[in-house]
This record gives sequence, C-alpha cells and structure tokens, in this order.
Amino acid sequence: MMQDLRYALRQLRRTPAFTVTAVLTLALGIGANTAIFTVFHEVLLRSLPVQMPGELVQLSYIGSNMGRINIFGGDGTDYFSYPMYQDLRDKSTVFSGMLSDTEAQVGAVWKNQPELVNAELVSGNYFDVLGVNAAAGRTLLPSDDRVKEGSPVVVLSYDYWKTRFALSPAVLNESILINGHPFVIVGVAASGFHSAINGFKPKLFFPMMMEAQVMPGQDKLADRRFVWLTVVARLKPGVSLATAQAAMTPLWKSLRAEELTSITRGSAKFREEFVAKSSMILKENSKGFSPLRDDLKTPLMILMGMVLLLAAMTCVNLTSLLLVRAAARGREFAVRYALGAARGRVMRQMLIEGLLLGTLGGGLGLLIAPMAASILVRRISGSENDALYSVAPGGVVLWFNIALSLGISLLFSMAPAWQMMKPSLNEALRQQSASTLGGAQRFRRTAIAIQIGLSVLLLSGAGLFVRTLHKLKAQNMGIATDHLLGFAIDPSLSGYSAKESLGVQNGVRSALAGLPGTKWVGGTTDPVLSGNQERRSLQIEGYSAPQGEDVAVEAPHITPGYMEALGIPLIAGRDLSEADGVNTQKVALVNQNFATKYFGSPQKALGHYIATGGPATKLDIQIIGVVGDSKHRGVREGVVSTVYLAFAQYPDLSGLQFYVRTLQTPEMAENNVRAALHGLDSKLVVDSMKTMDEQIDDSVSNERMIALLAVSFALVALLTTAVGLYGVLAYATAQRTREIGIRMALGAQRMAVVRLVLLDMAKVALIGIAVALPVSVLMARWLRSQLFEVQPFDPLTLIGCVVVTAVMVMAAAALPARRAASVEPTKALRTE
Amino acid sequence: MIEMKNLERSYRTGHTETWVLRRINLTIREGEFVTVMGPSGAGKSSLLNVLAMLDDQWRGEFYFADHGVHAMNRKQRAELARRRIGMVFQSYHLLDDLTVAENIDLPLSYKDIPKSERQALVADTLDRFNIVGKKDLFPSQLSGGQQQLVGIARAVIHKPDLLLADEPTGNLHSEQAKEIMQLFRALNEQGTTVVQVTHSETNAEYGTRTIELRDGWLYRDTAGLEANVAEVKA
Repeated sequence: MMQDLRYALRQLRRTPAFTVTAVLTLALGIGANTAIFTVFHEVLLRSLPVQMPGELVQLSYIGSNMGRINIFGGDGTDYFSYPMYQDLRDKSTVFSGMLSDTEAQVGAVWKNQPELVNAELVSGNYFDVLGVNAAAGRTLLPSDDRVKEGSPVVVLSYDYWKTRFALSPAVLNESILINGHPFVIVGVAASGFHSAINGFKPKLFFPMMMEAQVMPGQDKLADRRFVWLTVVARLKPGVSLATAQAAMTPLWKSLRAEELTSITRGSAKFREEFVAKSSMILKENSKGFSPLRDDLKTPLMILMGMVLLLAAMTCVNLTSLLLVRAAARGREFAVRYALGAARGRVMRQMLIEGLLLGTLGGGLGLLIAPMAASILVRRISGSENDALYSVAPGGVVLWFNIALSLGISLLFSMAPAWQMMKPSLNEALRQQSASTLGGAQRFRRTAIAIQIGLSVLLLSGAGLFVRTLHKLKAQNMGIATDHLLGFAIDPSLSGYSAKESLGVQNGVRSALAGLPGTKWVGGTTDPVLSGNQERRSLQIEGYSAPQGEDVAVEAPHITPGYMEALGIPLIAGRDLSEADGVNTQKVALVNQNFATKYFGSPQKALGHYIATGGPATKLDIQIIGVVGDSKHRGVREGVVSTVYLAFAQYPDLSGLQFYVRTLQTPEMAENNVRAALHGLDSKLVVDSMKTMDEQIDDSVSNERMIALLAVSFALVALLTTAVGLYGVLAYATAQRTREIGIRMALGAQRMAVVRLVLLDMAKVALIGIAVALPVSVLMARWLRSQLFEVQPFDPLTLIGCVVVTAVMVMAAAALPARRAASVEPTKALRTE
Repeated sequence: MIEMKNLERSYRTGHTETWVLRRINLTIREGEFVTVMGPSGAGKSSLLNVLAMLDDQWRGEFYFADHGVHAMNRKQRAELARRRIGMVFQSYHLLDDLTVAENIDLPLSYKDIPKSERQALVADTLDRFNIVGKKDLFPSQLSGGQQQLVGIARAVIHKPDLLLADEPTGNLHSEQAKEIMQLFRALNEQGTTVVQVTHSETNAEYGTRTIELRDGWLYRDTAGLEANVAEVKA
C-alpha cells in the first residue's frame, strides 16, 4: 500500500500541469459545495445548542386573527399575546416548561458610550426551559419575572461579553443604561448559545416584566389583542408530539371560547368559526423558530442544488481527464500486467491516485470554504460585522467535506480503473494505446457531452437569476431613489419619554433642513423597501366591507416633507403641514390605489373620513390629499392601498425613519448629517444610515446573492468544462495524427482538418446542449418562486446559454484543431 | 513526366545535419514502372515523399509534367498532387471508422465533385477491383491483401497520372503480394506511371526500370544515367 502511495505521489509530481489542474478543479468544486453546505447546515439543519433540542416544540395555531395587532406582520399565527401565553403555560399538562420571547432593539450606554444593540425580551423561565447555563454569574430566573418593572436585571450574551467587555468578570453586578434606565448585569449566557430564535443574535436578555423599559412606549403585557410573543415548550419525557397536540386541542378550544367573550363585534358565522375552525399546531422546534429560515430555505435549496450539479460536473471532468491520462499510460499498465500484476493491484493503484487527488483537492476546498461561506453569511446578515451564522467548519461540515471528497474521488477513479482491468496487451505493448482503450473514446465523448450539458444547466440558472435581478432593479418604485439618504432615530432608546419625543424629532428635522445641501427632509414610522409594514384595520366612510372582510391597509405615520423627500407626487388636495398638530383635526393622505379602490377617483376621496380600528370606532380622520402610488414593503411587492397618518397627531409615537433628499451625493451628506445630529444631541443613536440605492440593494439581497453565486458556479463550470474539453480533445487529436496524416496525403487541405476537428466537437456539444436545454426549462419551473417577470422558458437566457457554450467549446477546441492542421503527413505516416 | 535536378533533402537534429537525399538527378518518363530499391535508411521513402509532394523541405529543381514544383507554394503543390498523384502505403492506411466504399471515396471528397458523380466513380472502382461485395465492410473485417486492394482502389479512383507505392506488399504473404503486383502491372499497362519502393527483387521484376539508392545517393539506375552514377563513384 505504501509503495502504491509513493508511486502515486511520484506520478502526480511527474505531471505537474495535470496535477495542478485536477487539484484546482476539485478544490473549486468541493470548496463551493463545502461553503454552501456550511450555510445550508447552519440555517436549515443545525439544532439549537440547548439540552435535548428534540424535546422542544413551537406553538402556533390556525384560525381567524381578526382584530388582533401583530407587530411582525403576516398572518401572525406564530405569535401570541402575553395573557394567552400565561394561560397556555399554566393550564397545559404535557409540557415540562413553556417559555415566551420576542426580539427587541435597545439603546445601551456603557461607560458613556451609547450603541444600538439587538436584545431579547424573555420569560423568566427561558434559560431553565432551554437548559442553558450561565458562563458567568447567573441566568434570568422566574423570580426576575414576577412583578411588573420590578427587576431591572440583564444577562449578556457570551459574544457581547467577549467583544464589549473583554470577558471581564468585573462587569457582573455593574449597572448598564438601557434606553436611559439602569439595569444590573447579573450574568452571561453560555458560550455558543445565541437565542431560541434561530438566526437572531441578541446581545442582551431582559425579563419580560421589564417590557416598558426595554420597548419604550409599549405596555402590552395585559393586552389580549396584541400578539407579539413566540412560545416554545419542552415536552415532558415520554410525551410524543402527537400526544401533546391531542392534549392541547381541548385547552386551545376553551381558551379561544374564553377569548371570544371579549370580542363584542363580528357576524354569527365569524363567532362560530372563531372557535370551531381554530386549532393549535405544535411544530417540532429542535432547530429553533426562525422567520429568516423560511426566507432562506428556497434560495439555499436552489444554491445547494446548483452546487451539487457543480460537484457532478467536477466528477465527470476528472473522469474524462483521468481517462485521457490512463490511455496515455496504457503501455505502462500493459507492462505491469505482462510482468504478472494482478488486476486488483492495478485497480488499487488507480484508486489510490484518485484518492490522493481527491484528498488534496478536498483539503484545499476546506481552506477556501469558510472564506466563501463568510461572504455568503454577511450577505444574509445584511451586516459586515454582525454575522448571524457561524462559518467555522464544525464536525458535520468536516464530515460532509470528507465524504464528498472521497465520494468524488472514488467515482472519478472508477472509469479509468475499469478500463485498465481489460487491456489488450499485444496492441498496448506496441504503443497503439488508442486500441487498448477501445470504448474509452466513446466514454470520453459522452463525458464531454455531459459536462457541456451540466454547464448549460448552470448557465441557464445563472441567466434566469441575472435577468430577475435586472428586472427587479429596473422596477419603478414610485419614488425618486437617487440623492436620498435614510436613517432611523428613536428618542425613547436614549431615555426620552414619549411626550418629549415629538420635540426631539422636530428638532432633528429642523437641524437637517438647515444643513447646506439638504433639499427636503421627512420622516416615517415605517421605512420603505425594508420588508416592514404597519397594517391597520380601517373603517372607511361610505364603504361597507363584505361579510368576513377585515379592511386592513398599510398605515404609516409621516411628518411634513416626507412626500417631497421621497419624490412622491401630490395628485389631489393638499400635503401635510406643520399646522397639523395634536390639537387640530386629524388628517391623512391616501395613495391613488386607495382612493380609486374605495372612492372611484382621487378627487372623490378628498374630504371623506376614515378611522383606524374596529367597526365601532368613530370616523375621525379626514382625507386631505391623494398622493402617487409607490412600492412599500419590497421591490417584488405590488402597490398596496396606503393611508399616511400625521405623526404629530399621535403623541405616543417615538421612533422615526428620516429621509433626506440631498443636492450632493448622499454618501457625501452622511458625515454632515452625523455631525449635525451629534451637535444637536450626543445621546441620540443614529441607526441604519444608508442611501436609498443601498436600501434597494438590501431589499433584493437574496436575489443578488443567488445571482452572484449562480454566475460564479456557471463560470467555474464553464472553466472546468473548457479545461476538460481541451484535455480530451488534445489527446484525441494526438491519437488521430495518423488519420489526419492519411487524409492530408489523400488531398485534405489544412482548413478541412480544422473543420474536421471542430465539427467533431460541435456534434458532441450539440448533443449536450440539445439534451440540457429542455431539462433546464423543466428545472427552471422549480425556480419559479425566485424569478421575477422572467419565464422559465426565457428565449434571451436560452439563446445566451447556447452562444456562451458554443464560444467556450470553440475556444477550447481551437488550439487542438490548429495543432491537428499543422500535422506533417510525412511524420504522421512514418509509423511504418 | 518527372525531372529532378540536384535535389537534396536533409534533417537537422540539434547541431547535426543528416542528409537523406544527395544531388539527385532523375528523369521518369510517362508510362514507366520504376522500382526504387536500396537498404534501410538509403532515402527511398524520402524520395517517394518528395515525389508525392508531401514533403516540401528539399532543395533543387523538380519538374512534374512541365510544372516547376520547386517554384510552387505549399497549396499549389497540394492541389497538383491531389489531381495527378495517387499513393499506396505499406500499412494500407485505411481509416478504421470508414467502410470500404467510404475509404475509396475519401480522395474524391476533397475535390469539388458532385456527390452523384462520386458515387458513380466509387461504384465503378469497386466493380473494377471486384470488391463490390465488400463495400460496406470496415477495414478490420478484411484480410491484409483485401485491405491493400482497397488501398490501391483508393489511390487510383481519381485516375492519377502517377501512382506511388511504398512497400505495397510489405505486410502481405507471397500469394497476396503476387496478386497486388499483377494489379500494378495491369495499371501500368493501362497507362499509369508507377513508382514503387521495395526491398523485394521479385517485386522489382514487375517494373521496367530499377534505381538503387545508397546513403541518399542515386547509386544505380538500369536506364543507365551514367553522369549521376559517375558522381557517386567520384
């Protein structure tokens, strides 16, 4: 065995060009697979680092959500009110514990240094139920979560303790200012644990009872309408998911019935279905609840599929290269057989060489994978610094890499090893190696056709994603996206009360408006194209909703100047003004979509009244203007009916997203804005400052990530196919020297020889392309959810694929063809 | 038909120049059947390659049917050879992947001849060489003699003025060799000029003239061109 290994090493050293090509091809193929699998595993497969994660279940339900307020948007069936959580926790019998939690963002001041950090508001039993211990001090306890605002304590995440406090134990029992309120640091969560919410990395954990301080302006612990908590429970030992689900059904029905008594409105049908058509769903939760996972699942599956295609291509590529190499070594192996080598021994030699190449390529791939994965994770995280997922190659990823390397090595070593099992000794010893490997030529051509086909598949995928990205970026957003800078300011996170917030925000607006280079400035409670929405139930004068319809529209609060800043035109009526205040008639702007849908035209909407809330709410908001339609949640979304309320008329509000339209480039304005805000109030934390163009880029980050990776994979595929094709063709042409010599001796001109070689390859390419194109169209149907205004059968993409592949094939074939044409017939025929 | 004056050919290997043809003066008239003999390395095949216009690295003068080959470029020489010369090889050099009929058609496929005309010519040739029954077979399905028959058929299908044969019976047993040589004689009698390279005295007897090469020099010529021979002896 050692002798075979030594010999294999010597063989690889003797052909450095082949070895480097093979190892680099493998490194790219295996490295790309390892990188994508790292992220795939982190996002979709990895269990939470808690005790017995398999016992965890997430509670959700189906049934009407009418009248509920859900701060996360969507249908809200994954979220519960705090009173409902208490009922479920206290009345269920199949769980050993049940926790609730929610995401938050707080302003934290340590040693006079303010910063905005992610936090998690959790029930007191959070760490107990998860089975997570403290790395220092203690975790939160149920006793921290009994009295409202009674326990201002905080637990640090291990990462935050490490990066912000240098793992100093001295911070324990020290005080940190959170949104202007002092909290005592009581402990640090265990290393490696981030949150029960997968893909969320809070730095601080607070008891639920401190809601008012952690989430200023919110006081919803007693509100049954306000659904905002995710609920996770641990099954009692021996209780299955099905048993638990069955046991929870009657409890859920009784709780829904109890809840119905507090709902006074609604039709008879609604009231009947509120209980009858609602049921509790328990979901296996070993990997943690993660809205991000749902967003990433399809893109990651697609990328994993594409990268596996790349692995298959690498395998076929190496097979064809090794077959060429084996053919050139036909005489060597014939000599071995002639000297008495057993077939198994010869086969072992080939396998060891293959495994050696696979190990080298896989090792190199493992080195490049974390770099590629970290780029991917940074894209997913939307942040350069706070990566949501780890890319360190852990156990599973390492095993994946090893298994893939070994699997590919064995596969690509098989064909040449098989060929070497049945040599024709006589001919091989006479160095007519082409006849030694009779079927190999056909196999090599098939391999090339497969590689070309796989390249076409990857190319067409890349083409569709690039076209999707292009279409998305070319969308008319309804706003002027250039020269626009956005950022968020929430005075409540700097210790200001709700009453003080309006004054602070007005001060910010004035300071920004006075900056040289500022054209317009305006604010909103709901940033555009960020994936957020602020939907509210609405009552509309003169419109009676059909039975069961809950009229809910997008309803952000804005300041004067917002429309001008975003470049949204006023179509009818007037814009908001500084005079629209808390003591004047409540007013609103609506978009054209809303005006047309509910009133027939913009003009007809003017002067009518609306109200936010249920049917009994008094219609107290007057429509004073109609503005143009614009996209709100994301680039992919269509325009929705929108009502713009006046921020100044709702004194409970605090945070605003500001938009500044600048004369100079927004990047240049950034420093001026920061300096002006710091000069105005150094306590204010400015968050997420970015230009609108950057925001749009973020909004299509998944599409961009897929397009970028798909193009990369396609390029790697093209490159490896070209290398493989060149190798095979160069060898095949060398083998045909005699034939070419005969043809030239019989009158063939050099161009005829070039045509002969190119046509030969063109035939193989045509077969590969002809098979791959329909397959690519079929596979594109699977990608449909990720495409935008691009059909799976996109002629431009398909034509582009064929052209690029044809150019690649001709480029790879050009040199061997030229070489063939320069064959000297006298030399070629001298074999006699 | 052919006239060579002071034709020389050498190969350069590193700093050494190896001469394979030295000051060859040779005239071959139409209708001759010339046998080129000589020991291995004497320059026989090199001379044949020059005659076939496959080699263009020689010096001197070479006239073919009053055309100055030495003044032609590579393309013109290839064109002339394609029209007027046919070649038969010792190893037959049939293309393994083509049938008998396709192999015979090969020289025609490099000329601007309509397909129907080519098919007729191939049919005639198959008939003439009595191998119609084998037209769809591949070379590997034929005996050596049959393969060489196909090789000759391929060489003469375009009715060349000059037929060159390099050891045409080298791989055949005596009975097959005899049949092939009789075929060459018949072709010669029909008007084709033949130049064959051989080691076999028996084969040489089929020719009308024998020339012998030694170390690249024209050593003997039964047509008695004394000047050249005298030069060798000097």
